[in-house]
Amino acid sequence: MKIKVLWALALCLVLVGFPTHWYPQAVRVQLTSWFGAADYRPLPMSMDPPSEPPEIFCPPDPEGWRDAQVIEGVDIEASAPCVADNPWAVAAFVRGTNNVTADTLMRSGLTTDAVEKGRDLDGDGDPDEIHIRLEVAELNGGSAIVQAPVTRYEIAPGIRPGLWVFTPKFVGMAVENFESQQARPDLRLPSPAIRVEQGDRVRITLENSHYMPHTLHLHGADHPFVDVTGEGNDGVPTTSEMPVMPGMARTYELEPRQDGTMYYHCHVQPHVHVMMGLQGLFVIEENRPDNWLQTMNIGSGQVRARSQASRQQYDREYDLHYADLDQQLSERIQQDNDPRLIARSMHREYDITDATQDYFTLNGKSFPYTFRESLVVGRDNERFKLRVVNGGAKGIALHTHGHKFTITHRDGMAVPEAARSMQDVAWLATAQRLDLELLLQNDGVHAYGPGIWPFHDHQNQGVTNDGIGPGGNISAIVYAEYMDTAGWPRTQGVSWDNYFTAAYYRKEVPVWRSYAPGLFDDAGVDWLLLVRLLMLALGAGMILALTWRGLRRHRGRP
Amino acid sequence: MKLQRFFQLGLLLAVSSLFAAEPDPHAAHQHHQMEVDNVGVVMNENRDRLPRDCTSVSRDYDFTIHAGREYAADEPGMIFGLSQHEVRVQPCSRLTVRFINDDAVRHQWMVHGLPKYLYPAGMFHIEVAGGYEKTGTFIVPGEDRTYLLHCDLAQHMEKGMRGQLVVGTGSGDLWGVREISDGFFRSSYLPGQMYAWLALALASGVFLVTIALWESKKQ
Repeated sequence: MKIKVLWALALCLVLVGFPTHWYPQAVRVQLTSWFGAADYRPLPMSMDPPSEPPEIFCPPDPEGWRDAQVIEGVDIEASAPCVADNPWAVAAFVRGTNNVTADTLMRSGLTTDAVEKGRDLDGDGDPDEIHIRLEVAELNGGSAIVQAPVTRYEIAPGIRPGLWVFTPKFVGMAVENFESQQARPDLRLPSPAIRVEQGDRVRITLENSHYMPHTLHLHGADHPFVDVTGEGNDGVPTTSEMPVMPGMARTYELEPRQDGTMYYHCHVQPHVHVMMGLQGLFVIEENRPDNWLQTMNIGSGQVRARSQASRQQYDREYDLHYADLDQQLSERIQQDNDPRLIARSMHREYDITDATQDYFTLNGKSFPYTFRESLVVGRDNERFKLRVVNGGAKGIALHTHGHKFTITHRDGMAVPEAARSMQDVAWLATAQRLDLELLLQNDGVHAYGPGIWPFHDHQNQGVTNDGIGPGGNISAIVYAEYMDTAGWPRTQGVSWDNYFTAAYYRKEVPVWRSYAPGLFDDAGVDWLLLVRLLMLALGAGMILALTWRGLRRHRGRP
Repeated sequence: MKLQRFFQLGLLLAVSSLFAAEPDPHAAHQHHQMEVDNVGVVMNENRDRLPRDCTSVSRDYDFTIHAGREYAADEPGMIFGLSQHEVRVQPCSRLTVRFINDDAVRHQWMVHGLPKYLYPAGMFHIEVAGGYEKTGTFIVPGEDRTYLLHCDLAQHMEKGMRGQLVVGTGSGDLWGVREISDGFFRSSYLPGQMYAWLALALASGVFLVTIALWESKKQ
């Protein structure tokens, strides 16, 4: 008797719980002919997304770093976007950290030997003996003490991939202060753009302050395979030299005969180390008289103290370093603190042939942070030089809105005048460099007039942060009349509040929430259907148990 | 002791999160008393100004501390190290630290948490370029307390250069000081075939119980 009741209850649960829209269509039609259409039931209400206040779009500039200024006799150009390079560091890079006053050096944050400049060997008014020192730093790394990444660096709101970078030699802490895990502002992605002059006697000492072996390979720059002592000078462990082990140093030497936009990177396990951020622009400027160069451009971007050649031909110059990151690689340094486990995970367990890129950076940041510092800002008829490198694992299709540019150099070599054409999409293979000339002339070809004109990789994954748009390497050519005094473009269109929250890039906020609240928000839960499905599952479970019991009894078991 | 360490860590995490909200691009600029030369830096040196809770210098100490890879050579999973990861001194004592860098890269000997009225940002700091040495002096307060000392180049503390300065009886060991205390988090060192071993153990347990029940039923 009890069993029969249970069977009846189970069948009732299944019948009531089985959703009618799961019935075969013919059954539903027949039921409709008998009983008519089902009563109206409103769809679930929209759900409110998490409320997170946006970050400040445009951080203030209390010390006037954005302004044009003269420091140590160096003319430093104004920087229009909100976040500008430290002008004291710019001056120290131009004069040499061994040649500036103690006050300038302290404000620059650099060590005395970060960039040493010596004699003028050709008597043309600028130093030709250049000694650069580079360290290696880890950003967003792991720790045995705190779970969150240490020496934190955000490429976009809430996004902190593990990174390795070559850095100039700084004095003091790697973080802002003891109470913060935030990296100091000048310790960042990308590795700094380096500038030397054609014919300079250049020495670059790699002081490996990191816990893994590294080298320096000067890609495309004229350098001998071995130095005067016969030591390897190409940076390739497989063919030229032993890597620089942690705590050790090695000096690389070159006296480049050919000018052009080149590249440098680590060549130890390059499929991992280059992708982690150990790469930067290496620019060899034409030899000109009185050519005092900004030897390093931290974070790339606008060159605030330009070469003589650049001043003669252009109104401004920008270094644009594109890169991409695979989260499945970069997170590995955050998962363990033991270098043996990290080395195994990165170099043996990670398989780049299965990789997909998740983050796409321009000068070490992704949208919306690109708008704080990587805008190209100008006025009508100004002419700019853009030195572009693609350090990513995939090619990029660089597209400018509202402008057509001319490729003047490819991989550091001039493109013959007759072969030049105007384009609005340029393809850059991995490690390729292009020099672009951008003329803000409103003639319907070079430019279409003042405005805020985005430029970005036109392969569409490149304009996302792990699949969420807008993100990636989007920046813009902005005309001065569209900039406010704080350095932020006066955009028209949607609010950017969501873009400046980590929640948006955690995929928690509907993409059109800011201007269509409710319309495309997340739909609520159909609780009634959920209850019916639970009843169905309960009834099905009871039927299974009762069937099992019946089979056992049929075989004569208790 | 363990509980004390837990609260110390909690405080560190809470303070870190307070300051991690909005990066200020100019926040690195603080005013320290710095002696800088080609070799390195001694920051906030103090030979004679007494902490408020001290009436005189109780004792003078001289420490020679080396830094470099060779001081981690015997420690699995560490890359950098100090010749001495714990320094014990009396309250109100004066320490002269000769810091010798045996590597070819920068290293630091940095103490945190000192009184800010004497030591801007609460720090005493010696920084030395590779292959050089520098000496600095400072006076510790009268309170029994344990201070963090470390190298603040990125990942140097995490990979071995983390120590503690114990004044008087101290205030409990910090986490992750070599040969003194464990890290708060520990990686997994289990073998790759761990799940196979666990499955085998589980199956053995089932098998043993089944056999035992079978035998008892037969009896």
